[in-house]
Amino acid sequence: MSHPEAIELSGLTLSRDARRVIDALSLTLTEKRIGIVGRNGSGKSTLLRLIAGLQAPDSGQVRVHGVDVMRERKATIGALGILFQNPDHQIIFPTVEEEIAFGLTQLGSPRPEARTRARAVLEAHGRAEWAMRATQTLSQGQRHYLCLMAVLAMEPAVILLDEPFTGLDIPTTMQLNRTLDALAQQVVLVTHDPELLVHFDRVLWLDEGRLRADGAAGDVLPRFTEAMHQMGEADPCWQ
Amino acid sequence: MERSLTMVALFAALIAVLGLFPSFMLFTGVPISAQSFGVMLCGAVLGARKGALAVLLFLLLVALGLPLLAGGRGGLGAFVGPTSGFLYGFPVAAFVTGWIAQNWRGVSLTISAAAGALIGGVGVLYAFGAAGMMLVIGLSLPEAVAALAAFIPGDIIKAVIAGVVTGAIYRARPGFVLTR
Amino acid sequence: MLAMTLEQPTWLHHWPAGLKMAVMAAAMVAFLPVTEPVVIGALVAATAALYASLGTPALRRGLRLLRPLLLVLAVIMAWHLIIGAPRQGAVICLRILGLVALANLVTLTTRLDDMTAVLERLLSPFRRLGLNTAAVSLALALVIRCVPVLTQKGNALMEAWRARSPRRTGFQIAVPLVLVALDDADHLAEALRARGGVARPD
Repeated sequence: MSHPEAIELSGLTLSRDARRVIDALSLTLTEKRIGIVGRNGSGKSTLLRLIAGLQAPDSGQVRVHGVDVMRERKATIGALGILFQNPDHQIIFPTVEEEIAFGLTQLGSPRPEARTRARAVLEAHGRAEWAMRATQTLSQGQRHYLCLMAVLAMEPAVILLDEPFTGLDIPTTMQLNRTLDALAQQVVLVTHDPELLVHFDRVLWLDEGRLRADGAAGDVLPRFTEAMHQMGEADPCWQ
Repeated sequence: MERSLTMVALFAALIAVLGLFPSFMLFTGVPISAQSFGVMLCGAVLGARKGALAVLLFLLLVALGLPLLAGGRGGLGAFVGPTSGFLYGFPVAAFVTGWIAQNWRGVSLTISAAAGALIGGVGVLYAFGAAGMMLVIGLSLPEAVAALAAFIPGDIIKAVIAGVVTGAIYRARPGFVLTR
Repeated sequence: MLAMTLEQPTWLHHWPAGLKMAVMAAAMVAFLPVTEPVVIGALVAATAALYASLGTPALRRGLRLLRPLLLVLAVIMAWHLIIGAPRQGAVICLRILGLVALANLVTLTTRLDDMTAVLERLLSPFRRLGLNTAAVSLALALVIRCVPVLTQKGNALMEAWRARSPRRTGFQIAVPLVLVALDDADHLAEALRARGGVARPD
């Protein structure tokens, strides 16, 4: 009985070194904009990788728009795109066009077709002149944008983002944020900064692998911020 | 001075890391040869002297007891076993690869690096490997060559890829590549 | 990054590293001239007894370290059976087994800093010839520090590949990985210079 347009987690569990990183999580996510907040080490990045099928759970299952992310890799890659924190750990190819075309060739497009599509994507984003540029001459913000375009070129239904604004200056953050806002796909954003999720439909607060809160942004975010501030005012645990 | 030191250290680390990813390469083989890709790159990027130094540093750490060989192996036992010839050949392979890459200037770095990797990283390395097997297992030369023959085609492809990768690195960071 | 030393101390852990290496080397020499399977079998049994005297963890770890060898030894033995020289095959296999086991014994019972101390003593006469021993120590430390970092970056790149491709990771990710290594080398060199640089040889 699966909801076609949803991300469905059932009984998702992952342990590492005798510690429960994700504890029996079951959710159905249908909202357009979903945020995941939590402290560092709460399991949010791991959860994102479980959803993307890049990490195998100990038990449980993830279905994204009906596709089993662990067993149907090719369909998953077509349905779901993921953006990691550091573009330098994601960009594989030396030129922009190659980087964008890569996912398309991996999905089965012949090389020339993939290149044409890559150029079309650049055109659609008003960056046609980037095609032959060396990826390592791009600025930090441009590299983030390249990673996004590489994902969008594969026309996924869902986009997952793992703290995508780390280390970016304010103007670049605002510009990237606007681009994300305009996306037609279902977006799941992991962040430790509640400000970014104010307009989101649903926010999950993860604490040590368990769901501490789950609801509307206006509901969850103030409670999260309050708890974080309280912890900040208490003495650190490393003293 | 500092830059030379850190480059040598980082490439030594790279040999370990490239060896710890057996599925990095498109083909499987004797576990030890997955590491030779890193050895070829040491020579092709750092040149003969520093490339060999990086490999020696790597071997020193293995001898000191760190599990840096492909498959998480290491320790002194690796230097007396049947495939130990390859270990002794690693620094020479890097030296020869680097020497050819830095001295054959008439062609692109991709080509001279690939040639260096073929002669050093495959030719010289397998010579040492075969010699080691002859000494430790007591094989004759034709027997040792026959035992290793199956792995050579894969390693030839690996040497060509090493050339391609070196060329790409040079295009991205021309100032860092010491063989040009 | 864990070294291979056995955490549970044994009586052999207390021996000085240099002495251990010398004794093991001498013991290994005993294996070399032997041509009788019975004699070499006895030597291997003695080695096994030595391991056993160190306790079960040592014996178990020692066996685990020898596991990758077993396949090669099986092939060698099979080859010698085919060419009709089983005795020779047995001698060769047992000799390899004994030599590797003895060498591993030093590694298992000697801590990394003790091995490095031996290395420093071995290198000190070369200092007069211009060898910068401080640089060697620093280089060792740098490699140990950098392997986990590069492994992590390698993993991230493999993940980024798997996120866009159902196929196994290709060689192309070697390029960004090496570039990361080159950039790290640059940054570390800068950090070293900022903290006074590498000491020049005396």
